[in-house]
Amino acid sequence: MTIAETATSEYAKRYEPGDDGLRFQPLEYVGNFKDMEPVPDGILGDKIMRSRAKSGVLEKVTHEEVLNDQFSLDELNDLNNYLAWNIWDVLVMRATEGVSGMIPRQEYEILAFMNEFYRYPEFMRMVTDQIGAQGVIDIGESARSEIGTKINCVHDWCLGAVAFGMGRCGLLAGEWIRADDYVEESNIILKFMQRVLWGKRQDGYILNSQDRYRCKIHEPALIDQLMGQVQNFDPGSPDQHTFEQFNATAELLAFFDHYDCRLGLGDTGPYPLPDGRILIVRDLFVNEEVFHWSDVCEGLPHCYTLAVVLDPELMGLKEIRVNDISTSFTIPKNYVPHLTGGAVFVRDKWDTPMSDVYSVPLNELEPHMEKLRDSTYRMYKKTAKMSRHTLCLNGIYSYYIEMILPHLRKAGMYEEVCAKRDFWEIDQRVMNYYYEITKRNFVQVVVPQKIFSGEGYLPFSDEADLRASKYLWA
Amino acid sequence: MTVIAEGMNVFETSKQPSGTVHYLADPQSVIALIDSGKLRDHILLVRGGTTTFLAPALTMGAIGVITMSGAPESHLGILSREFQTPCVMTAHLTGGSGSRYVPGETDDSHFEEIVEALNGKNVKLDCSDHDVGKVVLLD
Repeated sequence: MTIAETATSEYAKRYEPGDDGLRFQPLEYVGNFKDMEPVPDGILGDKIMRSRAKSGVLEKVTHEEVLNDQFSLDELNDLNNYLAWNIWDVLVMRATEGVSGMIPRQEYEILAFMNEFYRYPEFMRMVTDQIGAQGVIDIGESARSEIGTKINCVHDWCLGAVAFGMGRCGLLAGEWIRADDYVEESNIILKFMQRVLWGKRQDGYILNSQDRYRCKIHEPALIDQLMGQVQNFDPGSPDQHTFEQFNATAELLAFFDHYDCRLGLGDTGPYPLPDGRILIVRDLFVNEEVFHWSDVCEGLPHCYTLAVVLDPELMGLKEIRVNDISTSFTIPKNYVPHLTGGAVFVRDKWDTPMSDVYSVPLNELEPHMEKLRDSTYRMYKKTAKMSRHTLCLNGIYSYYIEMILPHLRKAGMYEEVCAKRDFWEIDQRVMNYYYEITKRNFVQVVVPQKIFSGEGYLPFSDEADLRASKYLWA
Repeated sequence: MTVIAEGMNVFETSKQPSGTVHYLADPQSVIALIDSGKLRDHILLVRGGTTTFLAPALTMGAIGVITMSGAPESHLGILSREFQTPCVMTAHLTGGSGSRYVPGETDDSHFEEIVEALNGKNVKLDCSDHDVGKVVLLD
């Protein structure tokens, strides 16, 4: 068995029940708790947010509870408040990044959020009707024994945090909906999210932040298989340099192919190893065939999966977080020089059987890197010629299509949703918002102030009706 | 040693890349710099903290980056860490008007002042501190 039961380095103190973790940034969260103490990031923030919940939905929940189709009003509000904090926790600093100069990401993001809130409920209900609540849980569970799968932290989190949280928040900020509208649809979205995440984790929690930023979902047999291919190397050695460069080069194209967003990568872990080191399993999706702009990625596989082995003693690692958008952050910040082992695996297509996944030795990575660099440059020149409108529409697709695509594929319903529900169409209201969001600084000011700050996630009122729906159910 | 600008340090490193600051205003200027073959002569100055704008420059060996917005958690911060390319984010001038970047509230004059002050200067990046990255004037 390759996974250690416990870790002993300083970072392992973060997993002791009384430990409050370290602060990764200086800001504090207020959200809907304006008369209470502000909440910090990290493990302490999670504890405080859970202590303010009115229901048990943020604690470990049972299979039976997850199968139940209906959240109570308190549960919906607890999830809303927790997701608002969680979004702030992972995105508030990223949101300072300003204009792209290349892709109008802030514009496409808010449009995609709102489109998801309007459109996902019909897909989620359709899938649940067809495969059942247990079938949705099974979608999540499938991630435990696969690498190179987009059923991962960030995609699963997006189902609720983005489609419900940010989508509803954006619509509230624009005064296009009211707080007690779409309660039934909100329940559908959050139930779908809960089932997938619960099925993936299998420990009763749904989010990494509830488990001190751990996502140790892979079965020991799979970890053994990955570790069997890991090549150890010394810091500063040519092998380490090759692995480091391959990781960065593939990760960059993974971002780019997904329109500068994090859906292109997925970390799980940290898995403590018997020799004291840590394993992070990192999927880098460099060629998503569903997107037409991925033509420049021809010849590249759907996914490279990296087994990233880090020495926490060498690094003096104090805390590591695999957050809910699949990204690893550490204190100290620079983990790269302390990599002491790695392996690279290839999954050619999204549905390539795990038995056909193969590894590439480090000394054979250069041709892959050359192809990655070439595709990146071709993607850049192609993108630079696109109009703002085209970039926005592509960006909407890269969120709205992509965030639920893996779950539709796994349910075997992608083609059906395309054919019967016009999956690739944008809600007409959202197309109209395209012309509204640049007015009154909505994108530049309201989005960071309401969405990424966690301020705009209004609760459902005590008078909200769980049956309230504005949907024209087909 | 004259520190002419400071910002958030993306990751701690003993690397101290030096070169002439080259402001990249648009994708065409990124392509032109790469095609010139002189990418490694320059410290790149960009306005945003997103990844795509600098994508080919990062893969082809950019030696150092200064941004006028963004944080280590921004996508460009994450990628510069992975490439081990020293990067100072949301840089502000140590002199000048004292203007600071605030998302959604900062007008163009803030960025223009930084470009005016840094573009063409021969500098090195000092990214040894956990939090603060420094732009040091060499001439």
